[in-house]
Amino acid sequence: MRILLIEDDQEAAAYMAKGLKEAGHTVDHAANGTDGLFLATSERYDVMVVDRMLPGLDGLSIIQSIRAAGNATPVLVLSALGKVDDRVKGLKAGGDDYMVKPYAFAELSARIEALGRRSGGGQAETRLRVEDLEMDLLARTVQRAGKAIDLQPREFRLLEYLMRHAGQVVTRTMLLENVWEYHFDPQTNLIDVHISRLRQKVDKDFDPPLIQTVRGSGYSLRAAR
Amino acid sequence: MRPASRPAALPSLLKSTTFRLALSYLGIFTVSAVALLALVSWSTSTFIEWQVQETVEAEAVGLSEQYRERGIKGLAEIVGERARSDTERRTVYLLVSPQDERIAGNLFGWPADELEVDGWLRFSIERVGEGRFATEVTARNYTLPDGYRLLVGRSLHDAKRVKSAINRALAWGLALTILLGIVGGYLTSRHLLQRVYAMSRTARRIVGGDMTSRMSSSGAGDEFDQLAETFNEMMDQIERLVESIRTVTDNVAHDLRTPLNRLRSRIDVALLSDTDAAGLRQTLEETQAEADNLLATFNALLTISHAESSTEGFELVDPARLAADAVELYEPLAEEKGIVIRLDAAPDLTIKAERHLLFQALANLVDNAIKYTPAGGTATVTVAAAPTGVAITVADSGPGIPPASREAVLDRFVRLDSTRSTPGNGLGLALVAAVARQHGAALTLGDNDPGLRITLAFRADS
Repeated sequence: MRILLIEDDQEAAAYMAKGLKEAGHTVDHAANGTDGLFLATSERYDVMVVDRMLPGLDGLSIIQSIRAAGNATPVLVLSALGKVDDRVKGLKAGGDDYMVKPYAFAELSARIEALGRRSGGGQAETRLRVEDLEMDLLARTVQRAGKAIDLQPREFRLLEYLMRHAGQVVTRTMLLENVWEYHFDPQTNLIDVHISRLRQKVDKDFDPPLIQTVRGSGYSLRAAR
Repeated sequence: MRPASRPAALPSLLKSTTFRLALSYLGIFTVSAVALLALVSWSTSTFIEWQVQETVEAEAVGLSEQYRERGIKGLAEIVGERARSDTERRTVYLLVSPQDERIAGNLFGWPADELEVDGWLRFSIERVGEGRFATEVTARNYTLPDGYRLLVGRSLHDAKRVKSAINRALAWGLALTILLGIVGGYLTSRHLLQRVYAMSRTARRIVGGDMTSRMSSSGAGDEFDQLAETFNEMMDQIERLVESIRTVTDNVAHDLRTPLNRLRSRIDVALLSDTDAAGLRQTLEETQAEADNLLATFNALLTISHAESSTEGFELVDPARLAADAVELYEPLAEEKGIVIRLDAAPDLTIKAERHLLFQALANLVDNAIKYTPAGGTATVTVAAAPTGVAITVADSGPGIPPASREAVLDRFVRLDSTRSTPGNGLGLALVAAVARQHGAALTLGDNDPGLRITLAFRADS
């Protein structure tokens, strides 16, 4: 993917750019708001990562400007301001996701992936399919290799999120925010327990296993290679 | 400390409030003293003159009786007698015929320079006493039925002496009063301002870093004592706050240093030893986990400080829904540990809350309940209408917290498990306490017999 990174902290930016390049992306970096807005309006990107506090022009103004110009490129807002109303402001200004510093790179990378995919799809689907796992979103049923799998409502939503982001890394925080819809830090391996329950139903009696653990990051739904 | 702000050097005395206060005090004092003394002087002089005239009139009454009894001859005799006996001419007499011929008296002729004031004549004569001297006389003239005229008067010399003696005494009194006013005003205002200076010195010591300095009290219970008392209370409060901030900072530094040291030594060991790629990877993964823990601790600290400083983002929340979500989220964890988690939530209640923070608090409580309850135990989450509003209770059948420690566990980084064998950063309950304060909810830690029972009581309108 082609990613625009607008971040004034040189060290953090260099580190992020290196990580994203290693993950196979192309990265352009702007160190201030004015350069950032110029790049954002003159080039085409798949995802933009915008720091809120920038010299020149602040992050939210950049987002508002490009949205006003009809540019729908997904934007991930980075901020040291973690309050809920800041988050709301960030999303209202046209951001698609919001991350608070300090963060782990794995989290950032996973969220960028998720945003990039989102810009690709778009039309409302009624069926999801990964390998031999099938989900009917209207009938709320799941089956694998033709055998019905009985899921609790929350397990259904968890699997749906994983399937929608199949092949990508999905972090525990992303799952909490999107499946349970709470911004909070569990002190224990909560999500792992929920995933292991889901594995019992989705992977135990089938082959190959589809729910993969990505160490240090989260999970990914794909056939094990 | 800047020398300019130090009190009591002489040049600055003139500028000082002491001086200005003393001066204005003196001004008011002098004006009133002068007014009072002028009044005294005026009334004594009036009184003395009145007394002189009384004497003259009494004399005239005596003479008129003689005249009625003995006629003009008798009057002339008695006037002559009296004039002769008064060698110092304190009293003056003159009896003249209708033809203005002098018949008797100690005046040689009718005074030429007479001045009439309210029927009283005023003129100067020469008197004999200790030498000769001029004096003023106040006198009255009476016209007798057969055309004779009588003049009776009295020298004002003695009256004037009395008056001037009194005025001198008054002037001395005034001088003394002013002097006492200056000294008294200076001493009084210096006494008052000395206390102000003492307070200012204390405040400066505190500014200089001596947080234990306190203002002294005179024990009189006056306004200065009240001010000192209020100031001292304020300082106690500030000291408590500073102390708590210092404790928190120390704890943060201490609790973050330990994992950072661990992280660092793990890297050191990996660099020193001949580990293969797989071993290095293992070390990196462990280091990553350690860093994640650090991040989690930082985030928890930030969340606490957010809860402590923000009252934004409040919305109407269904506590039963929140409790159900928390129980649903933690249920697999409880099951894995062999603990039964129960939910008893009354529907149709609402509270005004910051949804995510309240959920975080609730999650921390449920997490603790599961963590500290042994296998086979029970954890219960209850949402019920309380007399004051809504109460959310999380109870477990674990070891509980001894009453003496219940206050302490709400502080940051406090863990009762001194070996720190259970996972956790010691911030869970501190966060719950911060969220409770943010929501104006009462947090109580009680006994569940056995186990711990924590209640968050929200006010009806909160």
